[in-house]
Amino acid sequence: MRALLASLRLAFASLLARKARAALTALGILIGIAAVVVVTALGTGARARIGGQIESMGSNLLFVFSMPVMKSGAKGRAGAQMGLTDADADAIRREAAAVTAVTVYSEVSSQIVSEFGNAKIGVMGVDHDYFPVRGYEVANGRAWTLGEEQVKSKVCLIGRTAAGKLFGNVDPVGRYLRIGRHPYLVIGTLVPKGESPFEDQDDRIIMPIGSWRARVSPTLGNRVMLIMASARSTAYVGPAARQIDAILRQRHGIIEGEESDFKIRTQQEFQKTQEAIFGVLTLLLVSVAGIALFVGAVGVMNIMLVSVTERTREIGIRMAIGARRGDIQLQFLAEAVALTLGGGVAGLALAAGLIFALGRALDWELALSATAVWIALGTSVVIGVASGFLPARRAAALDPIEALRHE
Amino acid sequence: MTPLIVLSAVAKDYATGPEVVRALIDVDLEVGEGELVAIVGASGSGKSTLMNILGCLDRPTRGRYELAGVDVTRRSADARAVVRNRLIGFVFQGFNLLPRTSALANVELPLVYRGVGRRERRRRAERALAEVGLEARAGHTPAQLSGGQQQRVAIARALVTEPPLLLADEPTGNLDTRTSHEVLALLQRLVARVGITIVLVTHEADIAACASRIVTMRDGRVESDHPNLPVSAEALLGGRPEASA
Repeated sequence: MRALLASLRLAFASLLARKARAALTALGILIGIAAVVVVTALGTGARARIGGQIESMGSNLLFVFSMPVMKSGAKGRAGAQMGLTDADADAIRREAAAVTAVTVYSEVSSQIVSEFGNAKIGVMGVDHDYFPVRGYEVANGRAWTLGEEQVKSKVCLIGRTAAGKLFGNVDPVGRYLRIGRHPYLVIGTLVPKGESPFEDQDDRIIMPIGSWRARVSPTLGNRVMLIMASARSTAYVGPAARQIDAILRQRHGIIEGEESDFKIRTQQEFQKTQEAIFGVLTLLLVSVAGIALFVGAVGVMNIMLVSVTERTREIGIRMAIGARRGDIQLQFLAEAVALTLGGGVAGLALAAGLIFALGRALDWELALSATAVWIALGTSVVIGVASGFLPARRAAALDPIEALRHE
Repeated sequence: MTPLIVLSAVAKDYATGPEVVRALIDVDLEVGEGELVAIVGASGSGKSTLMNILGCLDRPTRGRYELAGVDVTRRSADARAVVRNRLIGFVFQGFNLLPRTSALANVELPLVYRGVGRRERRRRAERALAEVGLEARAGHTPAQLSGGQQQRVAIARALVTEPPLLLADEPTGNLDTRTSHEVLALLQRLVARVGITIVLVTHEADIAACASRIVTMRDGRVESDHPNLPVSAEALLGGRPEASA
């Protein structure tokens, strides 16, 4: 260990004697290490962010989509009713023990007019349970009452983005907006939830499903686009999915082995899909950054080979005064490692700066992890050894007499 | 007491293509401690080959080489490196100092390979530099030193391990007459003071005249080998005219 440190010190001294060349060679490693570290940190940060967004959709959510079934080449099903209905939701609410809350949801994008302007905004018809299931809360004003839900009142709540589009900075509570021919009273605003991976969760207007069916989209009847359910806890998500599946299969008259006309997705599945996508993306970017690192390593090897040729006489002198082959080999290996380690440390410093700056600029939570630091340093050393090995061996194999004669 | 160097029937062949060049043919040579031997001869006479073998840089094809009572004929490359480090100091015609490296660091180098600690290395290197009168130039790089000073640094480097044998291959070849004599005077003082054995190759008669023994090579053989009453290099420089060896 002491000998190793001593050779590293000598190697640094030797590199200092050729500053410009050493700096340019280390630059390749610097860029490579910085690129890999920054890309990895971005990948981790993006994943955490997406994870947070998916969590913001609600807790332990299950989504039940209506699925068109292919039969004899034609979409649609003979006999049984089409899609999901309020009654399905009621059945789940009644029978699925692993589920705490169920809500129905239908959406249509509509041109909406206020006294200040108009915009195309998604209008959702939901029931009361929508709030706890999706984790929405009322910011100002109030939610609708059960009474209002039953009599299909023309009331709605509005998200922050939608409110901005229609009312600017004016408080929308107590004002009216018009959807089609009908005016609706804005009775409250929603606490902002931010972006989900799929949509802006604040760009919406929600109203009782009854009101929605009566006037916004009268053609849908008692069907719903989506049923959402909250499982009792994370551990109950699987059982909840199985229970919902069994209930709906029975209600829709789907026999064992037959393709069902609905699909159940859990929040965890979305999360997994997103993580897989980001995993692949990160891997791709890290590979590109890795190529930069590889090119840097080739540069180090190239310079070390040149250095061995240039310093043949020096090698001869060292051998004449008693350097063993191992000493020479260690010297050149140490120089290569000193180059790559120097580049690696500088690359880490650059990466730390970039990560800090990017975190600020994107408003993401980015961090240079201790693991990344150790891996980067380890990689630098390994690259040094790998790229220095051949030149070092070539140096050690020189014949001292020939080397001394070299001009 | 056994001589420091014993060469018995040493031969060296070089295969250059189909021909075999016989660079050394049955050389027998004994050199005792404290001798200053000059090896002279025309180029191609085999003096360089002889020096390479004496310096353990090369191995003889046939014959036997004992240095300080140790048979070093068939040692491996690493073993010969250790022998060079412990028993031999080298001085070359071209000085062969490491460029961009201070005189002190150059002198320390053999001790690095011997595994001597940093502080001890520095102390011994400073002492060796003082011995050749260059303690004031310890921080200078070779480029900042004159030819004579560079050669003195090289001598300090050869002496720093306190070897019994110093091999000098045309040590004055790149120096003017006066500087040559200064270097020779230094070598003669070393033989007198430390009792070191010096073998030097030269083709200059006035340099050979400073040796206590002159070996003449010709066509790979020792043509003549006789003692010599050494001329004092100090005297050549205009100092007191007395034999110093």
